[in-house]
Amino acid sequence: MAATVEKPRIAAIPTDVEVDPVTLDIIEGALKSARFEMDAVLFRSAMSPVIREQHDEFPMITDPNGRMVVGQFGAYINEMMESWEGGIYPGDVILTSDPFKCSASISHTNDWLVLVPIFYEDELVGWSSQFGHQMDCGGPLPGSLPTGARTIFEEGLIIPPIKIIERGEHREDVLKLIFNNVRLPEMNRADLFAIVAGCRAGERRVVELCERFGKETYLAACQALLDRTYQAMKTLIQLAIPEEPQSFEDYVDDDGLGNGPFKMKLTIWREGDHAFFDWTGTDPQALGPVNFYLSEGMFKMFIGVYLIMVNDPQILFNDGFYPLLHIVLPEGCLLRPRYPSALGCRTHALARLFDVLGGALCKQAPELNTASGYGTSPYMLYSGWDSKGDFFYSMEILYGGIPGRPIGDGMDGHSWWPLFENIPTEYLEAYYPMRIDGYTTVTDSGGPGFHRGGNGVEKRYVYLEPGEISIHDDRWLTRPWGVLGGRPGARSSKLLQRADGTEEVLPSKCDRVEVQPGDMLVYRTAGGGGWKDRLDRPVEAVERDVSFGLVSAEFAKEGYGVVVGDAEATGAERARQREERGEAPAFDFGPPLADLLANCEAETGLAPPKPAVPLRWSPLQRGEEALALVREADGLPEPAK
Amino acid sequence: MAYRLGVDVGGTFTDLLLVHDESGSMHRVKTPSTPVDPSEGVLTGIKRIVETAGTEIADIRNILHGTTVATNAVLESKGARVGLLTTVGFKQILHLARSQTPGPLAGWIIMIKPDPPASLADTREVVERMDARGETVVPVEAGQAESVIRDLVESGVETLTIAFINSYISARHEEEVAAIVERLYPGFPVTVSSHVLPEFREYERALTACMNSYVRPRVSSYVEHLQSELKAIGATADVNILRSDAGLMTTREAARNPIYGVLSGPSGGVAGGLYVARLAGFENVLTFDMGGTSTDVSLSLGGQPSIGRETTISHFRLRVPSVDVHTVGAGGGSIAHVPELTKALRVGPQSAGAEPGPAAYGKGGIEPTVTDANVVVGHLPPRLLGGEMELDVDAARVAVQTIADAMGLASVEEAAEGILAIVNENMAGALRVVSVQRGHDPRDFALVAYGGAGPMHANAVAKIMGSFPVIVPPAPGLLCALGDIVADFRDEFARTYIRVLGEADPADVSEILEGLGARAQEWLEGEGIDPAARSISYVADMRYRGQGYEIPVALDPGKVRADGLAQLDERFNQLHEQLYGFRMHETRSEIVNLRAVGFGAAPKPELPQGELSGADASGAVVDTHEIVFAGEHHTTEIYDRAKLQPGARFKGPAIVTEFDSTTVVLPGFEAEVDRYFNILIRPSE
Repeated sequence: MAATVEKPRIAAIPTDVEVDPVTLDIIEGALKSARFEMDAVLFRSAMSPVIREQHDEFPMITDPNGRMVVGQFGAYINEMMESWEGGIYPGDVILTSDPFKCSASISHTNDWLVLVPIFYEDELVGWSSQFGHQMDCGGPLPGSLPTGARTIFEEGLIIPPIKIIERGEHREDVLKLIFNNVRLPEMNRADLFAIVAGCRAGERRVVELCERFGKETYLAACQALLDRTYQAMKTLIQLAIPEEPQSFEDYVDDDGLGNGPFKMKLTIWREGDHAFFDWTGTDPQALGPVNFYLSEGMFKMFIGVYLIMVNDPQILFNDGFYPLLHIVLPEGCLLRPRYPSALGCRTHALARLFDVLGGALCKQAPELNTASGYGTSPYMLYSGWDSKGDFFYSMEILYGGIPGRPIGDGMDGHSWWPLFENIPTEYLEAYYPMRIDGYTTVTDSGGPGFHRGGNGVEKRYVYLEPGEISIHDDRWLTRPWGVLGGRPGARSSKLLQRADGTEEVLPSKCDRVEVQPGDMLVYRTAGGGGWKDRLDRPVEAVERDVSFGLVSAEFAKEGYGVVVGDAEATGAERARQREERGEAPAFDFGPPLADLLANCEAETGLAPPKPAVPLRWSPLQRGEEALALVREADGLPEPAK
Repeated sequence: MAYRLGVDVGGTFTDLLLVHDESGSMHRVKTPSTPVDPSEGVLTGIKRIVETAGTEIADIRNILHGTTVATNAVLESKGARVGLLTTVGFKQILHLARSQTPGPLAGWIIMIKPDPPASLADTREVVERMDARGETVVPVEAGQAESVIRDLVESGVETLTIAFINSYISARHEEEVAAIVERLYPGFPVTVSSHVLPEFREYERALTACMNSYVRPRVSSYVEHLQSELKAIGATADVNILRSDAGLMTTREAARNPIYGVLSGPSGGVAGGLYVARLAGFENVLTFDMGGTSTDVSLSLGGQPSIGRETTISHFRLRVPSVDVHTVGAGGGSIAHVPELTKALRVGPQSAGAEPGPAAYGKGGIEPTVTDANVVVGHLPPRLLGGEMELDVDAARVAVQTIADAMGLASVEEAAEGILAIVNENMAGALRVVSVQRGHDPRDFALVAYGGAGPMHANAVAKIMGSFPVIVPPAPGLLCALGDIVADFRDEFARTYIRVLGEADPADVSEILEGLGARAQEWLEGEGIDPAARSISYVADMRYRGQGYEIPVALDPGKVRADGLAQLDERFNQLHEQLYGFRMHETRSEIVNLRAVGFGAAPKPELPQGELSGADASGAVVDTHEIVFAGEHHTTEIYDRAKLQPGARFKGPAIVTEFDSTTVVLPGFEAEVDRYFNILIRPSE
């Protein structure tokens, strides 16, 4: 017998309610503070350092139709609800960790996404949602991010959209099943309920707004806020996106299995009010876990952020402008991998996406024109059993060189992703069997420019118990590029110095590397590229960097033409280098890819990766075909030539 | 005859309040501040107030002082040249900071990174290393340390900071190196990180210690200068400085650890506001201090201000115990604007400041500010009672009209009400941060309003928050000076002790607490505080194992010794549930820090009281004026505060004016004057 399923009554958006402009701005402000309250609640009660200290989490509040009215990622609720078979009731809490079942709103199984329906007067008035990175979600390796994974099944527990709380009652059997499959159940429980508490905070605020202004006004305001962003973005698209197609391409170096590099290519153009972002030309998906299953909603938000930052940074970020953007993602490419691809280590492609997007957009919007940075989320994971027989497991994200920017130098050893923080050495040493021999930046690793690229980080880990380490990094082969006369930043490297004095170069992506007490890992991340002509950088700035130890005297001469303390020699050196160089190039990627591959072994101590081919089970869709489908779905036929 | 004198140096005015110890009689003086040398204004004020009171300077026994010298040194980047000594391998500790860039995405593009208090060029590494258990891995290499110290001092640094890894667990290495400095350069000012902040997280500790060094020369020379000037005019009083946590410290302590006073100013307001509210019968209080460029809010529960472990000043997060004051860039001078792209109404964070100021001030400002909006809707009558200047209503209307035009609004009044609604919402957002985000229901709190613009906006903000009554104390400008007078001596003694509760030995815990308590006792003794006025409370900073934030939980060393730690665990779980809405049954709680807080109670002044007389307030009406509220024009009575007697009641809309502030009572609300002359505003029945 089929169970009867109650569908929630979805509140209708009133079309006849006029919201006065001031009330609208007030509701906008209140939604914005609700979103920050969701963060605050989560940070204060989460347990894992990844959420708590590094802030790897994302909140959102939607309207009744699942469109994001405030938050940091795109809407996915509609698609998820289409295949939802149960009812939705007040007091329900839904959890999922399956990127393939939520339109890639989360991009790997470590992200646990929680969804809370918001009811007011028995009607669904919206959703509150938040996801956070779990330290571990099961699978063969602590951290659940094996660099050698070939399918998503090697990346831990895959939770389909499922209720963990139904009408206020915890579904303990479901929770037990979940926590039985992870290494740190206490921590997952704490983090999961911290996310739920964050969603509840969002829920409370929306209910309050309905009480304060009336449900009708609140819902009409949501619509007006979406409309406002739509109108604003329409103007910006006209300004920032040229009709003539612009392309930019860059690489993810390898997939952890020896394949690569993977090209990511983006072409941008505009047709009337509508902008196309076409990833045709991007390489086939990887066998290894570096695929980045790109959510269209999230990508549209990324684009919006880039465009809107300089115009009205106080605007409430929402879905309103999404109908103006059209994303072409050929099936089977690195950014649209097929089920059941491995997805764990997608941060390299995520970061490169910003490099490529920035590179393509900046041709038209020089005020946003920056170089490229360290370009990934470098991880160091260390686990084992200590002398007391207790399991330990640490996971840390490192940072690197921020690109040179129009406003000034790139920061040394900072995070390109907002709000992430490093983990204090004293925290690491108090909780894990390790000692940090040094935590500093790599001299000369920032790309020279009028505004210097930031230096990469050097962290030296001394391991005190036998165990295994894993590393995720990129930009060991290709360089973070410089712009308009700035040079690229230095590449990343990993050196394991054994206690017995021997040394091993480790690849930038590896798992299960055994370490013994006294072994030291020297972990270096990449620098940022320089911005504008390095030979115009004020001599005082170069000399200050030398006095700070951020740039060596030799490199001051080579990179900036500055002979420290000698104005005359500096003038001559700069003239000589200008002569030798000729006109400053728009982009400086360093040596061409063919040379990088040819010299790979000699320069890095590592074998060059092999060019990737399409997987048998995931052929690459042709770009024209993908574009035609988007045109058809969005009702935008190809304009007559 | 003995007096206590409260002195608050603000940006514009220096406020002084003189209270007689026995009779409680009070005198007040307001004099312009002298930013170049603040002690000048202080001395002028003291001479005047002594004259007014008809007494002698030597009769002042205590001078209690809130000062912004440290704050301004940080805000204006005008501190000392600081040398920093770090553990080898960690020279770039301040340069790397916590690696954070601001949100939203791509926020790094516009991030401005402030220069740290110690330059990399003035940072040297010392060969030494201690592990996380306090055991030496590499002993201090004395010869090497000596040479880097010489190098730094000879290069001209004015102070030194020593901040080594893991010094929170043992100060041994830092102290060894401090001793070397003292041997080489006797008397050279040194800040030892584990002395200023014996807590883990090396960046925060090093930054706080360097910031201490950074402000130290300015604060100590100010304090010394003030004391010698006071002596010169015959004063014999002890000067005490208000700390950021609203406790008092001696000038000697202020000269050594000035960082504890970095929020001295705002904490005085909170202490004063709380004192007034308690007398009026309210223990749960939100304070609302709205000035020209920003608004400070805080929460006090059960008569105690909430003290945070950290405060942010000029992009720097400093770990010093501070009254948990949250600041938003919204004030009377905040400028309203309408971005072309979105046509939304934004208020602030840009401010017209004092120069050119709001358009209504007629000093050349043309941009529409919150003050202009108040003039347009009539909350600020053009001729303020006792005010020295006349407001330019036409200029205010012209400025606000630009907003009406940009938004397509029908009238200038509508635009003005919009500006006020937005700025009130922004300030309510700040009040939510200190209340709902910390697990408190703002409807359980009264709202104390002060600062230049606080009483004008308090009714509207309280309406959003549901926080009633609004309490507007008499002479709201003097509240900070009152806060100085009522503050108690306070100091903290802490030790990091990271133990899961099940593995912590109750005997150890009580022994450590008693040791810290003995240090607090010693300190109270040293301050010459009467034994009857002394008290010590004990706190454990606790969290679930591995969590990143700690919750302070009160405990009693005697009870711990007798009954163990089970009750502590339960109290922590209760608090966690109250703050965050859940408890974790299977997760162990752990102690991170143990602290003893010593208090020395100061005598509290009696505030002026009056007999409750009749409810008739009509005798205080001095004028009428028109205000706009929700699009409607209302004829409004203007009351002279000086004529309002205890017991008086009146309905909104009403405007109350006095020497340094204007109170607005909105339609639908009513006010009464209590026996301490406070105006209490509540919704009409």
